Amino acid sequence: MGAARLAKRRATVTVWRFLLASFGGRTWTRLTYVLLSGPLCWLAFLGTYGSLLALGYLLIAAFPISGLAVVLLGPPALATALLTARAVGALHRTMASALLGVTVPRPPRPSSPPGPFGWLATTLSDSTGWRSVLYVLLKLPLGLVTPLVALLSLVVGGLGVAYPLWYRTAVHGGPDGRRPGIGFGDLHFDTWPKSLLVAGFGIVVLLAAPWLIRALLWPDILLIRVLLGPSRAARLRETRALAVDDAADRLRRIERDLHDGAQAQLVALAMKLGLAREELAGGDQAAAGALLEVAHHEAKRAIVELRDLARGIHPPALDDGLGPALRALTARGAIPVELELTLHERPAQAIESIAYFTAAELLTNVAKHSRASHATLTLHRLRADRLRLTVHDNGIGGAHPAGGLTGLADRVRTVDGTLDITSPPGGPTTVTVELPDRP
Amino acid sequence: MRIILAEDNALLRDGLVFLLRHRGHEVAAAVPDGDALLAAVAEHHPDIAVVDVRMPPTHTDEGLRAALALRRDHPDVAVLVLSQYVETRYAAELLAGRCDGVGYLLKDRVADVAEFVDALTRVAAGATVLDPEVISQIIGASRRHATLDTLTARERQVLTLMAEGRSNTAIANALNLSYASVEKHITGIFGKLGLPPSDTDHRRVLAVLRYLNP
Repeated sequence: MGAARLAKRRATVTVWRFLLASFGGRTWTRLTYVLLSGPLCWLAFLGTYGSLLALGYLLIAAFPISGLAVVLLGPPALATALLTARAVGALHRTMASALLGVTVPRPPRPSSPPGPFGWLATTLSDSTGWRSVLYVLLKLPLGLVTPLVALLSLVVGGLGVAYPLWYRTAVHGGPDGRRPGIGFGDLHFDTWPKSLLVAGFGIVVLLAAPWLIRALLWPDILLIRVLLGPSRAARLRETRALAVDDAADRLRRIERDLHDGAQAQLVALAMKLGLAREELAGGDQAAAGALLEVAHHEAKRAIVELRDLARGIHPPALDDGLGPALRALTARGAIPVELELTLHERPAQAIESIAYFTAAELLTNVAKHSRASHATLTLHRLRADRLRLTVHDNGIGGAHPAGGLTGLADRVRTVDGTLDITSPPGGPTTVTVELPDRP
Repeated sequence: MRIILAEDNALLRDGLVFLLRHRGHEVAAAVPDGDALLAAVAEHHPDIAVVDVRMPPTHTDEGLRAALALRRDHPDVAVLVLSQYVETRYAAELLAGRCDGVGYLLKDRVADVAEFVDALTRVAAGATVLDPEVISQIIGASRRHATLDTLTARERQVLTLMAEGRSNTAIANALNLSYASVEKHITGIFGKLGLPPSDTDHRRVLAVLRYLNP
């Protein structure tokens, strides 16, 4: 194909992509969100706060001891308002997820001690409620401006595009009498060619509208992410629970490994030695010798197993740093692993431990599932306070977050780290783990 | 003796089979879980079944359940239950029904070959055998401190051995006493605890245990 034709093809594809982005499905859902969420927010606001204000006014007007009434009913009313704001926030979060494709995790419900006072105290102190109120208040102006701008742009664009069809029916005043069409100052769009200009303007507006809507949604999405998701305290509680469960899990596994492995081996060993003693006492040296040889062999096996178990708890090499530990790890692997390590300062011990065990598990996954022939492990500092560990293999890919990988991601998350997987089917696979320098 | 073994840890299972065969016993089957145990007992009619308490699938007390089922369905098969840890309630459940031909030992005991095989033989012959560790925990946790304090040191020793299922002769041997003194001590103990004298060894085990943990 000639260069000119190739260029033309590329241009067509780009234009098509642009049009698709402008008028594809997402634009309409965004428009729906814009047209729905603003009015909804205002309705909720006016409904809740309006009714609360009205109630307050009625109480103050109606009752002589109205001060007391306000004090008694104030907190429950406030709590109700917070809950309503929370509900409105949840609604917006759901709408954002369904219509905008923006998923923000749900903040957890606080558990409250039983009784009305417990409920009151918990609801009033839960930050989710207050953050939802802040969202509603900030959303009010947005909820007014955005739909208006969106509708306006659509209307203007639509009218502009259709201008050649209706300009003759409109009339506007000019310096020399009335003319058809519309005009601004010295510009008059009263002829067919000029109407086409307006149509062109309308097309431009219509093409720009989706992008305008997207731009207008940006502050809203920011607010949703910041105010309607779980608070930092909630996230910390969650990762703390994960960390505690993880620790308990590992202890159980160690107990099981010790019980089924080393302990069983030692009992079997003691049995053989007891039998050997009896044979010796009975004078059968040959039988005793045979038993002792088996017992010796079993003892050596138990030593190896205990050593592996101890290494699984804390590898001694890690005391010297991630460098020696990872080198030992990659040397032991089934497939060749290339190691690229640039860490001039050692991170905190807990981080070294997490990095080591994460690397170990990732390499085990590579060996077990990827059918790769070669892997690379890199570890370097992104910034003074952040490390990046990457495990890359040339295997068949298709790794997805499941089982072991989610466990790894959770463990990494407990120290505010991240784990990303790029693994298209067919490969290659790259897992990137970021960890802070200190937990 | 024909023995059937139920133990899920392959290493221990093979070790026990080796030990029992080395001592001249017939190990008709060695199975890894409770269902296989019941099937094997039905098929081979052993003299005794040696069962580990913790087995798949849940690794809690499958062995105990299987042992109790065996007592119910095959009352002529003796059962020796091996446990990793002392769980006095397992002993209680095992002895809830008939207690002749029932044994409860800690797995560690198999390291002492002579003792283990001795216990095995006694259980197969119809005695009740309880691990000394189990007994010391039962005595320690017993609320009968007042009456237990009235026993002399020697009487406590005799009581402990009696609760483990030892015969009078075995107690005499263990404590270097004459048979007659053992009998005298036992009468004294039963008197102080307010228990009627018992005819068979395994019935008196039950009586003592029921006294200690009502």
